[in-house]
Amino acid sequence: MKTSLIAAALAASMVSGSVYADVDISGFASVVGGKVISGEGVPEFGLEPTFLANYPIVGFYEEDWSFKPDSKYGLQISADLTEGLTATAQVVGRGADDFNAEFEWAYLSYTLNEHWTLQAGKKRLPLYYYSDFFDVSYAYLWIRPAADNYTWQIFNYNGVNAQFNYQVNDWTVSGNIYTGREDDTENKLLSEFFGSQPIREIWKNIVGGVLSLNRDWLDLRFTYMTYQNERYRNGVKVTWDGDDSRRGKFAGLSANIDYNNWLVLTEFNRLTLDGGDFDTYLLSAGYRVGQWTPFVSFADFDSESEMHSTSSIGARWDFHSSAAFKVQYDDVTDDGINGQMVAGDSKAITFGIDLVF
Amino acid sequence: MNWLKFVAIPLVLSATAASAEVAVVVHPSNAASLDQAEISRLFTGRGSAFNNGSKATPLNLAESAPARAEFDTKVLGKSSSQMKAYWSKLVFTGKGTPPKELATDADVKAAVAADPGAIGYIDAAAVDATVKVVGKF
Repeated sequence: MKTSLIAAALAASMVSGSVYADVDISGFASVVGGKVISGEGVPEFGLEPTFLANYPIVGFYEEDWSFKPDSKYGLQISADLTEGLTATAQVVGRGADDFNAEFEWAYLSYTLNEHWTLQAGKKRLPLYYYSDFFDVSYAYLWIRPAADNYTWQIFNYNGVNAQFNYQVNDWTVSGNIYTGREDDTENKLLSEFFGSQPIREIWKNIVGGVLSLNRDWLDLRFTYMTYQNERYRNGVKVTWDGDDSRRGKFAGLSANIDYNNWLVLTEFNRLTLDGGDFDTYLLSAGYRVGQWTPFVSFADFDSESEMHSTSSIGARWDFHSSAAFKVQYDDVTDDGINGQMVAGDSKAITFGIDLVF
Repeated sequence: MNWLKFVAIPLVLSATAASAEVAVVVHPSNAASLDQAEISRLFTGRGSAFNNGSKATPLNLAESAPARAEFDTKVLGKSSSQMKAYWSKLVFTGKGTPPKELATDADVKAAVAADPGAIGYIDAAAVDATVKVVGKF
């Protein structure tokens, strides 16, 4: 576990400041169970039939019922230090990590004016549309955003962020610009799932931005990020064509529609790394009938060497003012990485409850 | 078919919500004019000032108050659970804070009467001279 100085400082300032500051506590949780109904697994690795539901934290289902891969809880403490300054920390425990509590967010926020806010500390990388609220399942339709899209091994960064919000005629124009780095001393996905040696994954010189345009029923989002990748395998620096670092560039577009009870959710993303393109997209449609929202979804990952996709059908039921029940069936087609399967084809059922408080 | 009943009851409940009129209220000294789009902007965190430039402090009713669901549906065009999903995305990503919630119409009226920058909403039947109505829905 990595405890950043910022996290420790924030936690300390909240404890000592609680006498003076207005402290808000809020949280979220998901309790989700599921199993693989049928699947191929990857016999050459001794992998039983597996549904890999979450790449970065290696959350996967097998043929026995499990309540761990998608279950999680989060607790957010936010202290209003007045005059525009706020300290926020979020502790998240995920079933895939045996519910070990970690500081996922710890940042200071300063409101410059009506339009701009500056933040510094540890945050989630806002790459894909759902990246920065991936853990808050209550805020979206499915049990989880499609695994085929949300595959990248780094999902936090330490740095600074400037976010803005403007009203231009009928459009709300918002977004943020950020820079920072992340040094994951033992990356779970690369060390455990795609290998068996400890891998230290560094994304440095991260510079990115998000632009969102909202109007009535239409929500458009553009995202771009570039970073420099360094990697150590077993303590030895990895080289790519003789270079000990490589640059990645990520670009994405998302268009979402929420019109007359119809929901259409889309995103299209491309990561360019080592001269190759890693393309992902997600298409979902849902229709709200009272408290129920049945949906269908398709997500795809496509690069020259790696291909997999997931077709899903499910429903969300807002049975309570702070909780939603969800059930989902996923059918994964795995065309592998360089001829080797990621986790093989699988069909899986998952269901559970998401809540916020 | 117990399962069907299980599905049908919540549908019926959500369709039979009361339909009293909701009045959006501000401090009597507030001269700002507000249409539905502007009210919606203030209550969704997309704007934080009245059209005359002065800072606005929106006040929500708790979910237990009947006018809350009315306001969410008629003015914001969303169900209360859609609004909760919307706010949970903003709150847990550090992009926004939902309006403060007060328990009753009387609490909102008292808070608006005491704050020139406040904007709230109450059951239209609860309006009196301590607040100024800027819209009825």
